[in-house]
Amino acid sequence: MKANVMLHLILKDWRLQRRTIILTVLAGAAALTILVIGGQTPIVIGTVLFFVSMILCACLLPMQNIVNEIKKQTLPFVMSLPVSSARYAAAKLVSTVGMFLILWLTLLCVALYMVLGRHTLPNGVIPMAMILMGFPLIGFCLITGTALVGESEGWATAAMVVVNSSYGLVWYLLASHVPSITQTWGGPVAVWNPAVFKILGVEFAAIMVILGLTIYLQSRKRSFV
Amino acid sequence: MSDYAIELNGVCKSYRFFDLQNVALRLEHGTIMGLIGPNGAGKSTTIRILMGLVHQDRGDVNVLGYRMPEEQIIAKWDIGFASEDMRLYESMTLGWHINFVKSIYSRWDDAYAQLLLKHFGLRAEQKIKGLSHGQRVKASLLLVFARRPKLLVLDEPTTGLDPVARHEILRELTAVMVEEGRSVLFSSHNTQDVEQISDQITFIDRGRIIDSMDKEIYLDRWRRMRLEVPDGVALPSLPGVIGIQQTGRLAVAIANAFESHLPNAYENSGARVRAVENMTLEEIFVANVEHSREEVKA
Repeated sequence: MKANVMLHLILKDWRLQRRTIILTVLAGAAALTILVIGGQTPIVIGTVLFFVSMILCACLLPMQNIVNEIKKQTLPFVMSLPVSSARYAAAKLVSTVGMFLILWLTLLCVALYMVLGRHTLPNGVIPMAMILMGFPLIGFCLITGTALVGESEGWATAAMVVVNSSYGLVWYLLASHVPSITQTWGGPVAVWNPAVFKILGVEFAAIMVILGLTIYLQSRKRSFV
Repeated sequence: MSDYAIELNGVCKSYRFFDLQNVALRLEHGTIMGLIGPNGAGKSTTIRILMGLVHQDRGDVNVLGYRMPEEQIIAKWDIGFASEDMRLYESMTLGWHINFVKSIYSRWDDAYAQLLLKHFGLRAEQKIKGLSHGQRVKASLLLVFARRPKLLVLDEPTTGLDPVARHEILRELTAVMVEEGRSVLFSSHNTQDVEQISDQITFIDRGRIIDSMDKEIYLDRWRRMRLEVPDGVALPSLPGVIGIQQTGRLAVAIANAFESHLPNAYENSGARVRAVENMTLEEIFVANVEHSREEVKA
């Protein structure tokens, strides 16, 4: 008699957002195919487009999957189902993060294939690429958490502005302050030195803290809808 | 099982500019209660509290025997909730919504859903964005009714509807009640709708329940007496009379606990009773709210 409502909510979100996921995966894949052409200009254009598609998706998904549910007043419909606000938030987090991870992992695999399989770029770029791909993931988690806890377009937009403005700064700091990574990224071999692991660890910890804080703040809410 | 479908005791909720104060409410199984109040009276807050969507600061809330908000998940299996501000996914069809809700509720009544589609003039393949406001409300109610819930909680479902759509919805709501044991809490500021279908009436104003009673008793107890008051006659203050408005020699006395001896008491004081009239629910509502606000001021 008791269906798994959380699972139904997650599947519902995926059905509603599948167009966004497919379009972004296609855009990311198209950006990577530009890299195959080779030469400096296609590599720059392809890399920029690759990150743009990921950053775009990091903004679009929380807005469409979380903010729109509040803005377009479909939230009361969902909350009329046998689900608590805490379980709703958990389902929303799983569905949104899950959707982004599908895109993120797909693009990561394609990028690795480009480097390892097709040798479009030198292997030394892999650690740097992993670190750089972590930033949109952190940004996405921050926008998602803010959208869910803030329950407003204003808060989500503010988070987007902060996140998107900080990409350039973070990349600059990385390039100028961590020479052990930037000096080896043009080489034929991927160098996994302690600095790489430290940054990847910090990125992972930041994601865990953001998601944990989101669940904690959501569970403390006393008014929902 | 609890004696009541809904039971609220001493429920308080404070916001910056609004307080829900000491709300006590009881809805017996198998009855329809109309919750009437002006805009901002606290109807939606009360309903959100009993649905577990807003947590009360103090007080006990029991719905179908389950404590809210703690046991809201299990309670919601048997509650059908629809509110005026509830919207469906615009890019999807009504059929998609039906399949979604059906996949969750094993008690979903397909035959009844088809019947409702016909009664409401809806088509499953239609996208929600192509529906009028009235059709969207009907679609939301279809998704609620076909779950066959034990308790229906409807927050201003008829707001903004044309008379025909309102009539169709109220007719269906009455039909839904044919099933034994089903209870309905129906909030509205439209007294006509509430008068048409409710067994019990509860008035709420400025965060306080000001009265709650059987509808027939309400209509029976409230009377308006039109009086002619000769010069030099002072109208007595009588128990059961909550207000007198006098303009020159004519006065109107409103009684909220009318007794047959009241007109005689006015006659004995020297006034002439020209008419004793029944009041509509809307008139009772307005008089009740005004009386309650005067009491609070005093």
